[in-house]
Amino acid sequence: MIETVKKNGEYIRRFSAWRIIEHQANAIAFVVLVVTGLSQKFHDSTWAEWIIINLGGIDNARLIHRYTGLVLGFLTVQHILLSSYGVIMKKWMPSMVINIKDFTDAIDNLKYYFGITDNPARCDRYDYKQKFEYWGVVVGGILMILTGLTLWFPTKVFHLIPFLPGQIIPAAKALHTNEAMLAFLVIVIWHIYNSVFSPDVFPLDTSIFTGWISKERMIHEHPLEYERLTGVKLKGHHEANTVEETQEEDIKSAS
Amino acid sequence: MVNRNAFLLLAIFCILFMFSSASHATSNPPGEEVSVCMGCHENREMSLTFKNGEKLSLYVDNHSLLGSAHKNLGCSGCHGFSAGDHPTKQFKDRRSLIISISDACKKCHTFKKGIHLRMVNMLKQVVCADCHGSHAIKPVKEAGESCFGCHKYGFSLSFKDGGRQSLEIEEEALKSSVHSKLRCADCHFGFSSKEHPERNFPDKRNFTIVTSETCRRCHFDKYTKTLEGIHFNMLLKGNLKAPVCVDCHGAHAIESGRKEKIQSARRRQTCHQDIYAIYAQSVHGKALLSMHNQDVPVCSDCHRAHDISDPRMADFRNDIPQMCSNCHANEELMRRYGLSTAVLQSYLEDFHGVTVSYYRKQKNTMRHIAVCTDCHGIHDITRTKGPEASIVKANLIKRCRKCHVGASDNFPDSWISHYEPNFKRAPLVYAINLIYTIFIPFMIVGLVLQIILHIWRYAVNR
Repeated sequence: MIETVKKNGEYIRRFSAWRIIEHQANAIAFVVLVVTGLSQKFHDSTWAEWIIINLGGIDNARLIHRYTGLVLGFLTVQHILLSSYGVIMKKWMPSMVINIKDFTDAIDNLKYYFGITDNPARCDRYDYKQKFEYWGVVVGGILMILTGLTLWFPTKVFHLIPFLPGQIIPAAKALHTNEAMLAFLVIVIWHIYNSVFSPDVFPLDTSIFTGWISKERMIHEHPLEYERLTGVKLKGHHEANTVEETQEEDIKSAS
Repeated sequence: MVNRNAFLLLAIFCILFMFSSASHATSNPPGEEVSVCMGCHENREMSLTFKNGEKLSLYVDNHSLLGSAHKNLGCSGCHGFSAGDHPTKQFKDRRSLIISISDACKKCHTFKKGIHLRMVNMLKQVVCADCHGSHAIKPVKEAGESCFGCHKYGFSLSFKDGGRQSLEIEEEALKSSVHSKLRCADCHFGFSSKEHPERNFPDKRNFTIVTSETCRRCHFDKYTKTLEGIHFNMLLKGNLKAPVCVDCHGAHAIESGRKEKIQSARRRQTCHQDIYAIYAQSVHGKALLSMHNQDVPVCSDCHRAHDISDPRMADFRNDIPQMCSNCHANEELMRRYGLSTAVLQSYLEDFHGVTVSYYRKQKNTMRHIAVCTDCHGIHDITRTKGPEASIVKANLIKRCRKCHVGASDNFPDSWISHYEPNFKRAPLVYAINLIYTIFIPFMIVGLVLQIILHIWRYAVNR
């Protein structure tokens, strides 16, 4: 049985070992793909030339890119299959499914940022920002797998679906390269901000490395999940800042 | 009366003078003899008529005589004539007179070796005066170009294998060549009428190859280029058929290499006949040969003139896109024919183009990647518009299948023919690019704004 809390309730289990491995593998594969892929996209620039030549030439760079793509593809596919299986057969909580609340949360948060309301949205296990990134990775991953395989095996595509027009190949290239650019920018700007530079987590959100999240962050970022896990009814988030001290007492006694 | 006496006096004086000089002719110093001869031969009207009707002026220019190397010989030294002994000779024509008088040279000038010996013995039709002149005779080194004296005649050089090479040079061809200002010895180094080494060549080809080596004394840049060329390397390996300078440029009638494109192309016919025939049918060849279009490339524009590399080598292949783009990326040139200059960039942006560009940088090519010539043809380049378009299309799938084994018939369409993807040509590609060019900035701006808001809220709360 995996522990769900440690240090007397100061830390709460957030990610299982497999999720941690998945993230790390994904991250490594993503970096390799970005390095080998963007240097192909910007093949004229000197930095791209430096990378490709140092990887042993364009053929090597492509080889690395393709096999790393296979790794990322495998990770994506297994994740989709296992998660679907878990959600459907084992009644896992479909915590990543997007629902109406995510949209209202986003609007609530904007209102909070602008000072219209006094409190941010109260989110569950994954907030709308995390869901956005998650689905970006999953949908983008599927797109990259399909277009990547098309570019890797251009003749096979026409055997598989004979009626496809010829322009499917340049179209796949356009989709692959544009989607890659989008993913790269989202990760660099959004994900790195949220997990490194955001004042909430600075200097680093360690939960995906350790699997644990602190109680304060849980209360602050995932109050609904915290309430569900601990059974503690947090006071209305409206007073979150003022009642924090008393809440902490409550949690200790609850766990 | 006074007039008459004066005339008589003068006549007597003249007669006395003539007799006195005639009687002293043999013993007197040559200067005196000359002045006696010149008494008559200074007359510009005096002439000799040959049997064939040819006329020869008997006027002798005193100044040129006095400036000659033979000024001390006097007239009789060569002519054997004197005022006292002045036989009347009859010659068939002017030439036989010259040959006859030239015999006199042998009295003093005997030759035991060298070019003069050979000439004196072998070349009956060439005589000393042909090169050295007659009265104004000078040492040859001062007399200027004298080679034509002999080399205008059709004598020939024989080789060990029995072959012969005519040594006749057409003065006109030489004068109209780019080398008209050069002297013979500039190319034929070490040759003059004095120094005229005898060399023995096994055959005519060896003679040509050895003679050709003189070109590098001036055209050293071109020579060093040929060292990298395929022809020179074939020659090194012992293939004597490989062309040397003169095989392409000609020898005496040498022309500017850049001037005449048609000539340049035709010269290649000598060895590469089959390729020339194919080229003549290509879009470039037709334009050159039937329309005298000077814009189109000839052999040397693609293969280069001196550092011709082996077109079967990977380096040559990988340079082809740049080679074609010398013209096809030239805005001004392509506008004349309504052709797009985007062909290079669209190729380089494509998969094959990227690979070839990197192979050029990497210098370790593994595979043959499709370049311009794979689709458009090599020497048989055809138009891509008009009736020939279908041929190009048919060739395309064959070429694709060389690397993409089992490519289906619609596979070549995946190359959208150098077009920038647009709504008509490739709507799908166009749409994807359009959506992302809008979506990516939209997304990024949105995310950055959220980050800024987040930080701002954080700062305000503190």
